[in-house]
Amino acid sequence: MEMARKVSDQVEIYSLEETSDGVSLENGTLKDIESKSQSGISLRILKEDKLGFAYTKNLIDRQELLQNGLDSLKGEVEAFFDLPLTREIPPLDTYDPSIEKVVNASIVEECNRVGSLLEQKATGQVNVSAGRKISRMRLINSQGTDLSSRFSSYFLSAEILYPGSHASIHRPFTSKKFEKVPDATLDYILDLYNRSSKQASPKGGKMKVLFLPETLYALMWRIQSATNGKNIYQKVSPVMEKMGTRILNEKISIYDDPLNDRFPGARGFDDEGVPCKAFPVIDQGTLVNFYFNLHYAKKMAASPTGHGFKSSMWGGETISFMPSPSLEYLCLKPGGASFRSLVRSIDRGMIAADLMGAHSGNILNGEFSVGLSPGLYVENGEILGHVKDAMMAGNVYEALNEVIDLEDIAHPTYGGTFPAMLLDNVSVAIK
Amino acid sequence: MFEILNSILSNVDSDYADIRYELKKETSITFNGKELTHIGSNTTDGYVLRVLKAGGLTSIAFTKKEEAERATRRAEENALLIARNTKKPVALAKTEAVQDSYSPGLEEDPRQVSMDEKLELTRRYNTIPLLHEGIVNTVTDYMEVTREKYFLSTEGSKVREDLVTTRLSGLITSKEGTLIQNVRVGLGGSHGFSVFRNQEEEFEKKTSIALDLLKARPVEGNTYSVLLNPSLSGVFTHEAFGHFSEADLIEDAPSMREKMQIGNTLGNEVLSITDDPTMAGQLGFYKYDDEGVRARRVQLMKNGTLTGRLHSRRTAAAFGEPLSGHCVAEDYRFPPIIRMGNIFIEPGGAPVDDLLAGLGDGLYLLNHMGGQTSGENFTFGAQYGFEVKNGKLGQMIRDINLSGNLYHTLKNIYAIGKDLDLSKVGGCGKGQMNIRSSNGGPHILVRDVVIGGR
Repeated sequence: MEMARKVSDQVEIYSLEETSDGVSLENGTLKDIESKSQSGISLRILKEDKLGFAYTKNLIDRQELLQNGLDSLKGEVEAFFDLPLTREIPPLDTYDPSIEKVVNASIVEECNRVGSLLEQKATGQVNVSAGRKISRMRLINSQGTDLSSRFSSYFLSAEILYPGSHASIHRPFTSKKFEKVPDATLDYILDLYNRSSKQASPKGGKMKVLFLPETLYALMWRIQSATNGKNIYQKVSPVMEKMGTRILNEKISIYDDPLNDRFPGARGFDDEGVPCKAFPVIDQGTLVNFYFNLHYAKKMAASPTGHGFKSSMWGGETISFMPSPSLEYLCLKPGGASFRSLVRSIDRGMIAADLMGAHSGNILNGEFSVGLSPGLYVENGEILGHVKDAMMAGNVYEALNEVIDLEDIAHPTYGGTFPAMLLDNVSVAIK
Repeated sequence: MFEILNSILSNVDSDYADIRYELKKETSITFNGKELTHIGSNTTDGYVLRVLKAGGLTSIAFTKKEEAERATRRAEENALLIARNTKKPVALAKTEAVQDSYSPGLEEDPRQVSMDEKLELTRRYNTIPLLHEGIVNTVTDYMEVTREKYFLSTEGSKVREDLVTTRLSGLITSKEGTLIQNVRVGLGGSHGFSVFRNQEEEFEKKTSIALDLLKARPVEGNTYSVLLNPSLSGVFTHEAFGHFSEADLIEDAPSMREKMQIGNTLGNEVLSITDDPTMAGQLGFYKYDDEGVRARRVQLMKNGTLTGRLHSRRTAAAFGEPLSGHCVAEDYRFPPIIRMGNIFIEPGGAPVDDLLAGLGDGLYLLNHMGGQTSGENFTFGAQYGFEVKNGKLGQMIRDINLSGNLYHTLKNIYAIGKDLDLSKVGGCGKGQMNIRSSNGGPHILVRDVVIGGR
């Protein structure tokens, strides 16, 4: 920090240390244990409204890191923002010290327990993966901000596969500490799998589709993309002129909830040191907010919203990313129907249990065209079986205006915390 | 460096161990629209230790040399834990101990090109679409990654290899009213900077396509016969077939494994498929994999019949099949897993015009937009296409996603073009990202493909 301050106007240093263990059990046999112990540092320097960025893993040579930052500064990337001085952040409970004492043998034992329990009650192949991670991050800047957080997380994901396929029924479980997966989660997986174990071959067409929480990321991705401050600034969002208008069904409320520390990874500040807050994006169908990092907030003459995160869609090395606008804690507000009653209310339709190809197609425009992997066919409220070779397609701004109801519980899953959601008139093509 | 690696390895109590240290140098330049949003060069590094003990194989990736002792003990414990809990003890297929140092031949070494020149080149290509009315945004990304790898094993292998990957990728976005369309540009490879010279025409061409798409019609969801261009035949080969030629993906999936037995006839007799990482100049080229095994060409399917498979040392032993040298890691954060190198459908004899005539009524689809598989089902996107009536190109279509069943589609490929083109930009995310994953093929005709649409 001292070295960098001498040659720049403002400096920010971000450091991250992580240790993790991952266990995987395939078809009843322990396949792998993979451990990691990683650390790294990234540096941003601002000088005369220009930005330099550099990162490294081993801080072998401080001067080299700084020099890389100064070389980057020479490219003249414009940056008109100031780094924030943040002293107070909401107190959050993100770390359970008991995670340090958990041995891999206990995680293996839990995987074995879950695996054999599912195998006893279903005919399909069972895979289980689980792991824990402990991480510590620190963010300091030349304005005087000095924030740090420590996190613990544990996850277990169990799936039952349909024969001849990698399509499966699954539901992830996460916690800040090592604990047994609740019976309700395993019962749900078993029930859905066993009720759909036959193969069904219905006709395609427009029908009701029940999106399980595990599949909603595909629709939310389109909304996230359209409300991203970067895409608003670049004028490529289809909703850039729709602020304050109703664009989705009134049953839809979408918000970011970084302060919810019931689940792992809650954050009181973003990766630029801006305090985080509960943040509505769509309120009862009405567009109420775009989200920004420091850079795009300044560009749009808006306030930073605490959404500058060093994240990427495809994994990668955290320290190598510059903060960009990101809804890391997306939530869809639950509705009023139980999961069972949602299924029962389908006269003819599909349950989208998992998807393929959510990343392809015109995301910005809201288009989706995805493979169902699997889709479960429902007639008169009964699941008749799973369907091979089905696709569904549509546009989120039409599809999310055809909401029948949402499940009354939201589940932490891929890309956020979502309830199941039943839509009408979705176009499904079946071979 | 090998001295440090040797001192770590000599402290491991195991039946076998290997260690890989990598120094990764990345240069990247990004434009978003007219604005330069990122420029810089950075160096990162780390170690990956693998330990085989009593039939348990495990790995640990660590950043700092000082962590080696602790990492070693953790890996030994994990190996024993696997050994106690597994029904199938791991053995590694025998391989020769290799001592070699290899640097690829480059046509213009990107490390010798100045940052200013890279910046100007990226800026020039980025500007081409932006000069057209109707183009509202571009993302143009120059990336250069050098992996300097040091591999040492307790069996005496000692390999130094450099992998130099370059990429210039772009996304061109057009807009009219609320309709937004985008088209990708991708240049790059494993053989140097020269691939970026004189590419103005490519950016002009992709810009026209982005503008034309604003007038295109959304495709109607249905089952069609289709002509796929090399980009799409390549992504089909990679996504739908290639992944099931990776032994680790089917090893513990009995029903898949039975279907993928060598000798089974799965495809139409016109279809032959090969993976060959030894093709110098192609993106997926390398000499040794990250287990120190020399890469080999493997014919995976010949005239519809399965003839080979991609292996690591572990799976080659478990399947009792020959080593292929396909066990590759993303970088210093990961143990190697089985990956494709350059996978392609072998060219046939038909000119593209004959294929179009042979299609009769259907769709001509071009350029992939990502793909995914789930067992025997696959889905992938096409950037654009055309209706075909009586073998003649008709109206342009958009919003195209293909879906199908691997086994049906392999049978339904009924004609193969004589052209061959392999992808210049990779990005396969099988748990880790492989930026050198290359695929391609000739134009192919396929019947009965499900196209999602409204």
